[in-house]
Amino acid sequence: MNIEVFETRVLPTKNKLFRFAFRLLGSREEAKDVVQEVMMKVWNGREQIGAIDNMEAWCMRITKNLSLDRLRSKERRTTDSMQEGFEVRQESLTPYEKTEIHESMQRVNELIEALPEKQRQVMHLRDIEGYSYNEICEILELDMSQVKVNLFRARNFVRERLLKLNAYGL
Amino acid sequence: MDSNEVKELLEKYWNCETSLEEEQKLHSFFRGSVPAEMNETAELFRYFELQRRTKIEASGFDEAVKRKIRDNRPAGKSIKMYFNYARIAAGIAVVAAAGFFIREEVRKAYPAETEDTFSDPRMALEETKKALMMISNSFNKAHKEAGKIELFNEAEQKIQGKQVDQKKVNI
Repeated sequence: MNIEVFETRVLPTKNKLFRFAFRLLGSREEAKDVVQEVMMKVWNGREQIGAIDNMEAWCMRITKNLSLDRLRSKERRTTDSMQEGFEVRQESLTPYEKTEIHESMQRVNELIEALPEKQRQVMHLRDIEGYSYNEICEILELDMSQVKVNLFRARNFVRERLLKLNAYGL
Repeated sequence: MDSNEVKELLEKYWNCETSLEEEQKLHSFFRGSVPAEMNETAELFRYFELQRRTKIEASGFDEAVKRKIRDNRPAGKSIKMYFNYARIAAGIAVVAAAGFFIREEVRKAYPAETEDTFSDPRMALEETKKALMMISNSFNKAHKEAGKIELFNEAEQKIQGKQVDQKKVNI
């Protein structure tokens, strides 16, 4: 892979990688760092890339692994409560987004944040990024049935909660 | 897409039986105006849509990555190696130049004397004797002069000795 291929095929995935890292980490700064790290990893490992047929899925996988590494080391460093972690997510919204995401968006966001990690990942990859099941298997290193079960649970959890919230007239 | 079709697709969607194309259809349907009964689903799809628009907010992100890449690409190794060789060559050049100039200076300071000036050994001996005699004469002359210094020295010591004696008397 030369620099042109890198610029046309790897660099443009940055927003997808960023969204995924942001979904996992909840911090823009860290997500940005991770994306940069991914780019360097891809570039440094470009000799082996010939064997990879889906570059984007591969980048997403590296993003997932680096993000989870970060989360783990963060957990080890500090024993932050869940609440604190949640507040970080809230703060990381820009003022622009704060105005754009009105109440209902905030509500959906909270629901998705409340999902278990796997379900959240699968839902993000399928419903926001539009990946095929095969690609999701590749990115998350899961088998097909696990991906489908996680997606099913995620969608139905969100659906039920939304129905309930609306039934109470909130 | 009429609402029945949408309902059917949604049912499949909740059961995770929709294909990507069908999900695409749903996404575009919910982008438009939606019947009130589907409000909560619309909320979810609007959220997805909004998330999809999130972008990495880093001006110059591409440039930063490209710069980093250019800084450590192996192709640059040849350049680095060239620089290394150039460094070594420069070092050698400096040492060689310094050596050359130092040798020139040394040569100027000490003209070569190793060349033979005489071809006849006897004449050479005479010349050597002459030279040694000259050194010897000069040496003797200097020795005689140095004798005078000794005279002064003795005189001074005598004077000092007297002064010391006087002091002793005074005490």
